Amino acid sequence: MKKKVLSAVLCAAMIVGVVAGCGAPAAETGGSDDAKKTEASGGIAKEDIKVGFVHISDPSDMGYTYNQDLGTQEMQKELGLSDDQIVNKYNVPEGAECDTALRELVDAGCNIIFATSFGYEDYVKEVAAEYPDIQFCHATGLQAKDSGLDNFHNYFASIYEGRYLAGIAAGMKTESNKLGYVAAFPFAEVISGYTAFYLGAKSVNPDVTMDIMYTNSWNDPTVESQVAKALIERGCDVISQHSDSTAPATTAEENGVWQVGYNNDMSEAAPNASLISPRIDWGIYVTEAVQAVIDGEEIPVDWCKGYKDGAVYLSPLNEAIAAEGTQEAIDEAAAAIEAGELHVFAGPLKGVSPEGEEYEVKEGEYYHEQEEQSAPSWLYIIDGCNVVE
Amino acid sequence: MLSTLNSLFIAAVLAGTPLLLGALGEILTEKSGNLNLGVEGMMFMGAITGLAGSYYYEQGVVKAGGDPSGVLSALIALIVSFLAGALGALIYAFLTISLRANQNVTGLTLTIFGTGFGNFFGEYIGQKAGGYVAVSEVTKNTFSKLHIPVLSDIPVLGKLLFQYNWVVYFAIVVAIIMAWVFNKSRIGLNLRAVGEDPATADAAGISITKYKYIATVVGGGICGIGGMYMSMVTTSGVWVHGCVSGYGWLAVALVIFATWSPARGMLVALIFGGLTIMRMYVNIPGLPAQIYDMLPYVATIIVLIVTSMRQSKEHAQPKSCGNNYFREER
Repeated sequence: MKKKVLSAVLCAAMIVGVVAGCGAPAAETGGSDDAKKTEASGGIAKEDIKVGFVHISDPSDMGYTYNQDLGTQEMQKELGLSDDQIVNKYNVPEGAECDTALRELVDAGCNIIFATSFGYEDYVKEVAAEYPDIQFCHATGLQAKDSGLDNFHNYFASIYEGRYLAGIAAGMKTESNKLGYVAAFPFAEVISGYTAFYLGAKSVNPDVTMDIMYTNSWNDPTVESQVAKALIERGCDVISQHSDSTAPATTAEENGVWQVGYNNDMSEAAPNASLISPRIDWGIYVTEAVQAVIDGEEIPVDWCKGYKDGAVYLSPLNEAIAAEGTQEAIDEAAAAIEAGELHVFAGPLKGVSPEGEEYEVKEGEYYHEQEEQSAPSWLYIIDGCNVVE
Repeated sequence: MLSTLNSLFIAAVLAGTPLLLGALGEILTEKSGNLNLGVEGMMFMGAITGLAGSYYYEQGVVKAGGDPSGVLSALIALIVSFLAGALGALIYAFLTISLRANQNVTGLTLTIFGTGFGNFFGEYIGQKAGGYVAVSEVTKNTFSKLHIPVLSDIPVLGKLLFQYNWVVYFAIVVAIIMAWVFNKSRIGLNLRAVGEDPATADAAGISITKYKYIATVVGGGICGIGGMYMSMVTTSGVWVHGCVSGYGWLAVALVIFATWSPARGMLVALIFGGLTIMRMYVNIPGLPAQIYDMLPYVATIIVLIVTSMRQSKEHAQPKSCGNNYFREER
C-alpha cells in the first residue's frame, strides 16, 4: 500500500516538473519574436542581443573549451554585454544532444549561436535551415559555403602557422633529433597541425624526424599520458600534442624531456618541460560576428584569420629551458609569415594520405592551406613523419 | 626487442595499478555480498580529494613560511582519498544495507554523484587557484619513480621491479594482505560466509550488518586510493577534467577477470594494463587501433564464458552478491 501511495506521489511530482519545465522556455520565446522584428529592420539594439554557445566540454578542461570561453569573455567585454545576454551550453556531446541544445538556445531567444566542436556541423545545418532569422556559426567545419543558407557560417584560425613557429622551438631544443606527437585522430585538422609542427622543426634542424601516435579521442588523459610515455620510450625528447589535456605535458616533465602545448599556456602545469604553446584567439571572430548582428550586417560565410591578424598567437617562450636563439629564430619566421614571404606547406613536398592517396607540391609552389576554406585540408603524411600504429 | 618488452612490462604495471586498486576495493565489497557499481564515482572522489589534500597542505605550509614535506603531502593524499572513497561507499552502504535499496541502481547513482563531485570540486579549486590546480615539485617527486639503493641499480631487473612509484608497491601489499585475510583468517572466513549465504552466517552468530558495512566502506576507501593514483601519478598532480575516464568500469570488469581473487588480481591487472597499452609498443601492421582497444573486454568475456562453462564454485561471484539481506524475510 505504502509503495502505491509513494509511486502516485512521485508521478504527480514528475508531471508538475514537466509542466513547469515547459512553461519557462515558452515565456522566453515571446522575447525572441520581438528580437526578430528589430533584426528585420536592420540590426538589433546592443541591450537586446542574446548570444548562445554550444561547447563539447567546459572551461575547467583548461584546454580547448577554456580557450573558447576566453574568446567569449573578450567579446563580452569589448561589446559591453551583460552576463544574462550570453547563454552557454557546456558538455554537449557530438550527437542528438547538440540538436536539443541548439533548440534550447533558440527558445531562450538567442540571435546568434556559436557551436564550437567539429561533430556539431550536421545538427547546426539542420537547425539553421529551420530558423532563417537566427545566425549560426560553426567552428572548424566546412559545409557552410555549399549549404545555400544565408545564416550558416564556418570559422577557424590558421593554427598551422602557430604550430610551425612552435615547431622551431622544438627543433632547436631536441637532442635526440626525434620529436613525439600525441595526436587525437587521423583527421585533416590534426594531420595539418602536426605536419606544420614538423616542418617548423625541420626548418631549423634538417636531421629531425617525428613519431606520431593516435589516442583516438579528443580528451582522454590516461591514454594521452600513456602515449606520451611510449613516445619517450622510443627516444623522443620533445613531445607535442593535438589533444585536450595537460597529461602529455606532465608526463614529459616527469620523464625529463620537453614539451610543446596547444590551446593554453601549459607552463603552469609543467614548468620544467613546457617550451611554448600555439594558441587561437577566438575572441576576434566572435566579436566581429556579434557586432555584425548588432549592425545588421552580413557575417562572412567562411572566416579564417591567422598569425598576421592575431587570431593565432604563441604563449610566452619559456626562456629558462629553450635553446639559445630560439626567440630570434621564431621572430624571424613570424615576420616572414606576416609579410607573406614564408608559406608553411611550400614545395618540394611529397605526402601520402591515410587512404593511400599520393600528393605532391612542386618546387616553387605552395599548398594553399586554409585559404579557400577555413577548415584545414592538408592530410598527407610527409617523409620524416612516422605514424606508429 | 628485449628493451621493447621491458618497456611494455613497465608501462603495463603503471597502467594496471589504478585498475588493481579499484578491483581490490570492489572484490572486498563483493565478498560481503554487495555489488557496488559506484567504483568510478568513488575513484573520482578519491582523485579530487587526494589532490586537494596535498594542494591545500602545501598552500598552508607555504603561507606559514615553511617548506612542505613531500612524504607528509603524499601521506595526506593517501589518507584523504581513502576517507573520500569510504564516504562514498558509506552512502551506498547506508542505502543498501540499512534501507535495503536496490544495489545496482544505488551503485550507478554513486557513479554519477562521484563523477560530478570530482569535476565540480576540481573546477572550483582550479578557479580559486586562478588556472591549474597543480601540486609543487616536492610532491610530484614523491609520486615519481623511486630509487631504492642497491636494488634499483641491478641491471635490467632493477628497472623492471624496483623503479616504480610507491603506490605500485602499496597496491601489491594491499593485494597480499587481502589474499591472506580472505583465505587464512577467521574474519575472512566469516566475510565469505556473509557473501555466500547471509542467512546461514546469521544463524552462526555473525553480525551481517557489521561485516557488510566494514567491507563496503573499506573497499570504497581502496577504490578512492585508486582514484588518487589517477590524479597524482597519471596526470602528475594536475587536475584534469574527467581524469578517471572509465577506469572505474574497467576495474569492475577486472574483478570478473580476476574471478574474485586478490592474488590473481595482481596478475590479471598486469595483463589488463598490458592489453590497454599494447598497441603503443607492439605494432602488428594492418591491425587497427580499435581492435587493440577491444582486447581487455574480449578477454573479460572469454573468462566469463570459461568460468561459467566450468561451473566452478570457487571462481564464481559470491552467491548472495547483488541481493540485500533482510532477516525477517527468511
